Amino acid sequence: MPTHLLYQINNLKYRYGEHFELDVPELTIKQGSSIGFAGSNGSGKSTLLRILAFIELPEEGDIRFEGAKVLKNNGGAKRDVTMLLQEPYLLKRSVFENVAFGLKIRDDRKNLKERVYGAMELVGISPEEFARRRWHEISGGEAQRIALASRLILKPKVLILDEPTASVDQQSARLIKEAIIECRSRFGMSLIIASHDRVWLNSATDMVKRMHEGRIVGTGSENILSGPWDHEENGLYTKVLTDGQALFVTKPPHQAAAGVVNPSDIVISVLEPDGISTRNILRGIVTHMTMERDSRDILIEVDAGGLSLLSRLTPSAVQSLSLVPGKEVWALFKASAVDWY
Amino acid sequence: MDYIAQGFIRSIELLLSGDPETYSAIFTTLRISSLSIVASLIIGIPLGFLLGYFEFPGKRQVRAIVDTLLALPTVVVGLFVYAFISRRGPCGELGILFTITGIAVAQTILVTPIVVSLTATAIESLDRRLRATLVALGARGRQILITSLMEARYAVLVAAVTAYGRAISEVGISMMIGGNIKWHTRTITTAIALETGKGDFAVGIALGIVLLTFALVVNSSLTLLKKRS
Repeated sequence: MPTHLLYQINNLKYRYGEHFELDVPELTIKQGSSIGFAGSNGSGKSTLLRILAFIELPEEGDIRFEGAKVLKNNGGAKRDVTMLLQEPYLLKRSVFENVAFGLKIRDDRKNLKERVYGAMELVGISPEEFARRRWHEISGGEAQRIALASRLILKPKVLILDEPTASVDQQSARLIKEAIIECRSRFGMSLIIASHDRVWLNSATDMVKRMHEGRIVGTGSENILSGPWDHEENGLYTKVLTDGQALFVTKPPHQAAAGVVNPSDIVISVLEPDGISTRNILRGIVTHMTMERDSRDILIEVDAGGLSLLSRLTPSAVQSLSLVPGKEVWALFKASAVDWY
Repeated sequence: MDYIAQGFIRSIELLLSGDPETYSAIFTTLRISSLSIVASLIIGIPLGFLLGYFEFPGKRQVRAIVDTLLALPTVVVGLFVYAFISRRGPCGELGILFTITGIAVAQTILVTPIVVSLTATAIESLDRRLRATLVALGARGRQILITSLMEARYAVLVAAVTAYGRAISEVGISMMIGGNIKWHTRTITTAIALETGKGDFAVGIALGIVLLTFALVVNSSLTLLKKRS
């Protein structure tokens, strides 16, 4: 077992209720890496993250952390990994005691006050103003930042974040993102992030894995198109979006199948196309733009009828189209550009 | 109606003058209820925690029995405890019949189901995110249990205050096990019953005022604690 592997997962299965099953045949995460999980609600991201944080144990399969098999009472591994929940829970005590809790239960009280104050400052929470406040005297965004501070103070080997900015205000979201990146560069910890914020996910992680119905269905920035699909004539299948526009695909294996479209297969036009053979011509608005770390290409996120599509363009193409967030565009791709899982 | 008004005025005089007989009943009540509440908390909180926190076969049945015991009639508890601690009973040698200890034992039996049931409810009502948060922060076995109990502390205090309210206001046990012995086992409630029977409304009203004041304090604490929890 190479020592640089942090997690090695084989044949992991976890059932939740009657209908949901998480099924991960194989997954490895390297030490010091930053991995993102994207996918719709109920795709299994949170469950997988809770298993990686040892909050839940899988019913079947094998998890190894730094080469050692994780058993129920493997406390050592648990203390190297910490997780920030999507909706933070603060203990019914002061903000200071919340941030200090992890250190206290480890009996690590050296320079406690300085370390707690340092962690609070890192997430933009003023220690003088907040340290003595009670759990019920703070807003949702502040609570999430305090919860993050209580994790960062532990300097974990792995920080797992489940939608860390989903339910907070913009300022808190910015401070949370900055603190995460700052800590990663300072302590060299590994990051595992689940988020709907695809642009941030692409910029904060080395690799994004897409999840759908409990399975990892792809890596990178693929677009997931989920069913149900209605049969049309000419071998095409369709799905109507919330604004009345329709998606066209070919040969889904079953009615509820999820398809994947590579962002490089999505073309952007600033004028309404006319007289072309491409079936999918979706009018939308540019919502985000970000640079891909490795390729230096630009990922353009377009919202079309509630569907979020990523298109990969070169910087010169972005410049020539004068693309900016808020601009109306048409996203085009062939019905046959969809791969099925 | 005059005798009620006169009784009320006389009761104020009794309370303000520090009438020894009246205050003896008050202090006896406080001693007994304090003993029984401490004992019921020591027994009831751990049992309630186990019942609320862990899943085990027969849990629902145990819960149903505990909840049924909430409505335990005081005279039934008095009857059974009397049978056990009377001279002929299996615990007769203890010699606690007609003593403060005897009343406290019976009251403990009466209020422990309240502590168990309300503590179990408090633990069951803990936020589902708590366990995940504690595990994520590195807490283990006993640390998780103690912190969970600490998170439910206000609701557990509600259980304690509710049980205390039941203990100070009951009359059946105090009468049957204590025997209403003046200066010794006479409590507020048994004294009220006796003095009313004798037609001495002044002492009855004076003790009634004290009991209502206790009830007011207990209920105010409950309201405050429920708000915090």
